[in-house]
This record gives sequence, structure tokens and C-alpha cells, in this order.
Amino acid sequence: FTASLLLGTTLTISSNHWIMAWAGLEINTLAILPMISKSHHPRAIEAATKYFLTQATASALLLFSSMINAWQTGQWDITQLTNPTSCLILTSAIAMKLGLVPFHFWFPEVLQGTPLTTGLLLSTLMKFPPITLLYMTSPSLNPTVLTSMAILSTALGGWMGLNQTQIRKILAFSSISHLGWMTIIISYNPKLTLLNFYLYALMTTATFLTLHTTKASKLSTLMTTWTKAPALNAALLLTLLSLAGLPPLTGFLPKWLIIQELTKQDMA
Amino acid sequence: MDLSLVLNTFTLLTLTTLSTPIIFPLLSDSLKNTPSTITNTVKASFLISLIPMTIHIHSGSESLITLWEWKFIMTFKIPISLKLDFYSLTFLPIALFVSWSILQFATWYMASDPHATKFFTYLLLFLIAMLTLIVANNLFVLFIGWEGVGVMSFLLISWWHGRAEANTAALQAILYNRVGDVGLILCLAWLAYTTNTWEIQQLNSPHQTPTLPLLGLILAATGKSAQFGLHPWLPAAMEGPTPVSALLHSSTMVVAGIFLLIRTHPLLSSNQTAMTTCLCLGALSTLFAATCALTQNDIKKIIAFSTSSQLGLMMVTIGLNLPQLAFLHISTHAFFKAMLFLCSGSIIHNLNGEQDIRKMGGLQKMLPTTTSCLTIGNLALMGTPFLAGFYSKDQIIECLNTSYLNSWALILTLLATSFTAVYTIRMTVLVQTGFTRIPPLTPMNENNPAITSPITRLALGSIMAGLLITSYITPTKTPPMTMPLSIKITALVITILGIIIALELSKLTQTLILTKQTPLYNFSTSLGYFNLLTHRLTTKTLLTGGQNIASHLVDLSWYKLLGPEGLANLQLTTTKTITTLHSGLIKAYLSSFALSLLIILMSAH
Repeated sequence: FTASLLLGTTLTISSNHWIMAWAGLEINTLAILPMISKSHHPRAIEAATKYFLTQATASALLLFSSMINAWQTGQWDITQLTNPTSCLILTSAIAMKLGLVPFHFWFPEVLQGTPLTTGLLLSTLMKFPPITLLYMTSPSLNPTVLTSMAILSTALGGWMGLNQTQIRKILAFSSISHLGWMTIIISYNPKLTLLNFYLYALMTTATFLTLHTTKASKLSTLMTTWTKAPALNAALLLTLLSLAGLPPLTGFLPKWLIIQELTKQDMA
Repeated sequence: MDLSLVLNTFTLLTLTTLSTPIIFPLLSDSLKNTPSTITNTVKASFLISLIPMTIHIHSGSESLITLWEWKFIMTFKIPISLKLDFYSLTFLPIALFVSWSILQFATWYMASDPHATKFFTYLLLFLIAMLTLIVANNLFVLFIGWEGVGVMSFLLISWWHGRAEANTAALQAILYNRVGDVGLILCLAWLAYTTNTWEIQQLNSPHQTPTLPLLGLILAATGKSAQFGLHPWLPAAMEGPTPVSALLHSSTMVVAGIFLLIRTHPLLSSNQTAMTTCLCLGALSTLFAATCALTQNDIKKIIAFSTSSQLGLMMVTIGLNLPQLAFLHISTHAFFKAMLFLCSGSIIHNLNGEQDIRKMGGLQKMLPTTTSCLTIGNLALMGTPFLAGFYSKDQIIECLNTSYLNSWALILTLLATSFTAVYTIRMTVLVQTGFTRIPPLTPMNENNPAITSPITRLALGSIMAGLLITSYITPTKTPPMTMPLSIKITALVITILGIIIALELSKLTQTLILTKQTPLYNFSTSLGYFNLLTHRLTTKTLLTGGQNIASHLVDLSWYKLLGPEGLANLQLTTTKTITTLHSGLIKAYLSSFALSLLIILMSAH
């Protein structure tokens, strides 16, 4: 299954034609579904179902947008997406795939239902193709829609995360807000989006692996991990702070650069 | 010989003699004070101080003694200098005479007190502070004396500090005086700022002084001399022993405020607003105090209110632009008021601590000397012709009547004069005449010369002082000589009217009808509701305001509601609202997705 995942991702990344991209995304979806529902727990099944439904919708919308574009302009090139309607539909499709507000409702529950390593894959690897697509089509996207979605994601991710006790849901909301940060800068400086994504992927991987080692899935479990692996706990502290974006840690870097870029563009 | 040298020497000798009982015990252990040594010291001081006064009367010489100069900053020097002019040279012997009599009386009155020497030392310190105030040439030295008398007043009022009322009374005295001090400091600051000096001779220069520093001076006088507004401390100060009441609150300290106004008179005379303020404030004070005295039952309180009323009268005189007349009234008033207090002290001690006049009566037969001096004092207070009070009081009323000033102040003052007669006669009748209402077994004995000689000396002073002082000074302003007959005898007529009313009212006591509690009676008995209204209200408002600011405003609202906790609460509300949105139903989710998509497409077109 991992192999198919990698295949799907690579396919999407390196594609130039919309059908290829779509195919890669489909392969990714199908491959990860059994991984989510590996434990046959009802919650896992439910998570798998939700994930499938949303992702299928998103892929359909993606195909739809590319078809409209092909109908209007007669070409299937990813970088040449010019029809405004198809741009909008594409934006919403990718938002659905990523988990941006207002298309984010599936993400916490799905993440909650998966085992921790799959969750990791879900957060990082699965985000990679859509981000790539965004990156490739960034010049032609509607900035207003993107900005509003991004601001809402950042805010909502923060607020929702406050009231959670399950760590996986917290991490889901943290990824939603990070995605918000990534989206907001994409129309002005797409390289920063990529930087943000890479660093975010790094930090999330570290967090997920730590949690997997200590088998902590709730906040109450997390409280007692210091007896089992104190050094790891301390490392987790630093990682979480970095995720939050505190200045001396790495997580601050993308935030700072994004704000600087936005100020230059008269937006912040 | 050189008269000014003699003048200076003897004045300084007076002051030095007074301070010997303070310094000698510090020098050697064997030189201890006793009450009698202090009394003798003051007597010696008095006799010495007669000499400078005589020299002044003889040759009209005044002098200025500069002892030391405090170079505060280079441009503003504060000399410690004494001004010996008519006011200080005349008041010095008077104050010392009265103090000598009071101290002699106190050797009998405080004989049973274990700390009698300390008491006498306090009285002596007070006297020194008061004399500093009198002979001061600049407002700085005056302020030193001012503060000194305030502090000593506090210590002396709370002499019996086991009594809660004595402590509250002393606190009241200090607080009300402090409020007045603010006015004095304001004036000092203004003077230092504009005229760069605090000397009294220099006060002649400004032609038109602005009203604010003058109001400050009037505020200081209000506080110290218990004018209306800052007056409750004076009746409350009767908690102190009788010698204290006699010295401080009748003859010396309470006149300090008026004396300040006399000294700074050149500043005040040009400003019409200040003069009108003095006039109306004085009139109001005198009437208010007289009204309150009508229904008092404590003999000391009656005399305290009469002091307050006379102080109002002095303030009216200042308002009439007659400082010399005010000084005359101060001097004559000192004699008979001190004597009244001493008589009341003798009565109180002889009745074993009874101060209620409803429980005294018929004392004429039992305490003949005391009661005759009491009568003389009361007659002098009322302004009976040719006793001491007449020379000053009658002249004030004449000037008031013949001036073109406020008629409201005039009416109030006349009314207060008649009230003075009423309560004085009431007190005399209830204390001395009629049937006795005292308990059967009372240790009544006035054969001690420590009681009788001070009182008789002061009685002599009450009779002669008016005549003596007015004969030997030259008035700076010509008193009005011609006026219609009705105006000339106004004071006399009103006083007689008051006497008649009082005698009629006193007959009521023999008809056994209970006095009804009418609103007017309540007003008079509860001192015009002033104490009740202000004491609770002001302090409670200030304290709760302070508590509100400190705890409610800062702690609770700024730190909690608006600050950190407020922010946290804000986030909490948002979080809870949003959590309810995430229900977990995939159908809801997908429908929301569809809706959002629709909105995005719609908005773009």
C-alpha cells in the first residue's frame, strides 16, 4: 500500500496533463483507504468512509474544472488554466482535498479514526499533491477566495483546537491553520508556501512519531509520558512550540516571512 | 537710655524665661519641673513682658529682631525674625497674664492627675508655639507656630486618652485644622512665587492681589478659628480638661486664624471679594454657633459655642476692614472667656464631675466667688456697657450698622448678638439661681486660693481691660462718631430684648410642661445637622471610592474583565460555539461543502 501511495504522489507531481493529475490523486485516495481502516474499529471504518466521500467529491470537482477549461480553451495543460469558473472550482476542489475552511469538517474526525502512523501520512504526504497543484496553477487563481479561505482557516483552526482533548484532533486543527498560512501567500510568493509546507511537514512528522512512540492519543495520556521517556517528552515540548511558531524555533520562520511578504503587498 | 535696646532685651528675656522649664531638665537631672515652678515661670514672664508693652505705649516704638537667616536658595532668604509692633507687644502680656491665671488654676484642677507635670509642660510648649506665632515677622515662622499649636492642641485634647470620645475629638481637631493649613500653604506658595518674600512688611506692595491666595488665607482662618464649614472640632474639643479649653479654645489658639488675617490685612483690604467672603462667613458662623448654643445642656459646650460665635464676630470685623478693632475684641475676649472656662471648671470639679446644667442650680449660695465671677464674665460677654466686652463689641456693631455693606450680614450678626444674651442668661439662671438640682452629697469647697485668685484676677481684667486698652492706643481708623440714636443703642436694645426673652423662657421650667421636639429645636440640638451629614458621608464616600478604585477597578475589571481573563473568556465563547458546529454528520458536511461552492461561484460572477 505504501508503494501505491508513493506511485500516486509521484504521478501527480510530475504530471502536465490534468487527467494524469487526477489519476494520481485517485490512486492516492484508494491506496490510503485500507490503511485507515486497518483496525476494523467502527470509528476507523467511519473515518474511512468520510475520507472516501470527501476525497471523491474533490476529485470529481477537479475533473469537472479541468473539463470546463478544456472545453473553453481546448487544452489540458495544468499551468494554462485560464477559465475563471474552472479556476474557482479548482480552488474549492483543492481546498476540499487539503482541508481548508469551509471544507474542513472531515479532517478532524478522519484523523481521529486513523492509527497514528497513517495519520501522519494523511497529514503530510496526502497534502503534497494538492499543494503542488496549487503551486503550479497559482498565477491564475482568484486571490480573494484564497485569502478569505486562508484567514478563516487560520482563525477557525486555532479556535477549534482550544476545546479538544484528543491529540489527533488537535493536530488536525493545527494542520488546518498551517494550511491557512500556506494558502494566504500563494498568490504573492508561492515559494514561501512551499517553504512553509516543508517545515510544517517536518514538525508534524516529528510530533506524530513521538506520539506513536509513547502511544499517547489523549491529553491525559500525554501527561504521564514523562515517566516513560523523559528526554522524548522534552523534545516533544520543543517540537510543539515550534509548531506554534515561537520565535527562536524554526516554526517562526515561515510565519515571519509570510507576514513580511504580505506587508509588502499591502495586505497585513 | 536707648529705649529700643531695652525693648528688644526685655522681649527676648520674656521668651527665654518661658523656655527655661523646657531646657533645664535636659541639662541636669536635679532640675525637675513641678507644676508650681512652671506657674511661677509664666508669672515671671508676664511681669517682664509688661516692660516692653509700657515702652511701646509710652513712645510708640516698634522693632524688628532678626535672629538668623536661612539661606534657602540664594535669591530667597527666610530670616527668623520677630516683629514687635503694637499687636504683638500688646498681646504678649495679655496672653501671659491669662496663661498665668490658667496655670495657677490648673495646679488645683489637675492635682489628682499622676502626670500633672507633663500636662504643664504641654501647656508651656503650647504657649511657646503661640507666642512664636504672635511675634513672627514672616509667614514662615508664623507657620511654625501655627503647626505647633495644632499639634499641642491634639496632644492636650486627648489628655485623657482612655476615653474614645477624647480621641475622636482630637482627631477631628487635627483634621479640620489640616484642611485649613492647605489654604495657608497655598498662600505661602503664591507669595513666594510672586513677591519672593514671606516678610510681613513686604505685604504692602501688591496693589491688587488675585483672589485665590486670599481665599487660601480665609480657608486657613476658617480651619483654625472654627468658622462655619470647618467648625465641628471646637465643641468636640471640650473633651479636654478645663484648663486646656480655657487656654487653647478660648483665648489663644482659636484667635490664631483671626490674627493671621490681621497680619495679612494689607493684602486683603484691596480685594472686595475677599472682604465680602469674610463678612458673610463670619456672620453665618456667629449666628450658627449662637443657635446651637441655645439648646445645649453641657456647660462647657455652651461656652465653646459662645467662643465660636465671638470668633464669627471677629471675622465680621475683619470683613469690615477694621483689623485693629478685631484685635481689640481678641484681647478683651481672652479675659472673660478664660474666666468663664475657669469658673465652669471650678463648678465641675466641685460637683464631682457634673457638667449638665440641668443638674446644677442654686450655686450662688454655695460657691459665691465663682458664681459672681461667672456673672461678671457673662455680662462682659453680652457687652454690658463699660465692662470689657462693651468697648469692642459695641464698637463693632456700631461700625456694622453705619457701613454701606451687606445687610444680610448685619441682620445675622444682630440676631446672633441677641442669641448671645439668651443663652448666657439661660446658663446663668440654670446654674446659679433657683432651687438646687445637685445630688445631696457633694464635696463643695472653693476656699483654695489656687481657684479664687486666678478667677478674681481675670474678673478684674474683664472689667478694666477694655478701658485700659482703648485709652492707651491710637486707632488707625477714626471710628464713626455720629449716628442716629436708634443705631447707637442697637446693640444694647437687642441684648436687653434677649435677656427678657430668656427670663420669660426660664419661667417655663417652673410650669412643668415638657418641651416638645419641634424641628427648630432639633436643628439647634443636633448642631445644625452638620456633624451628622458631613462626618459619615464624606469619609464613607472617600473610603469606598478608594476601595472601588483599588480593588474593583484595577484588580477586578482591568486585570480580569478587560485584560487577560477577558481575552481568555472571549476565546472560550468562540471555541464552544464552533465546537457545536462540528457534529460529525457527513451529510451535513457534504451539504455545507456544496453550499460553499455555490457561494464561491455566485460571488465570482
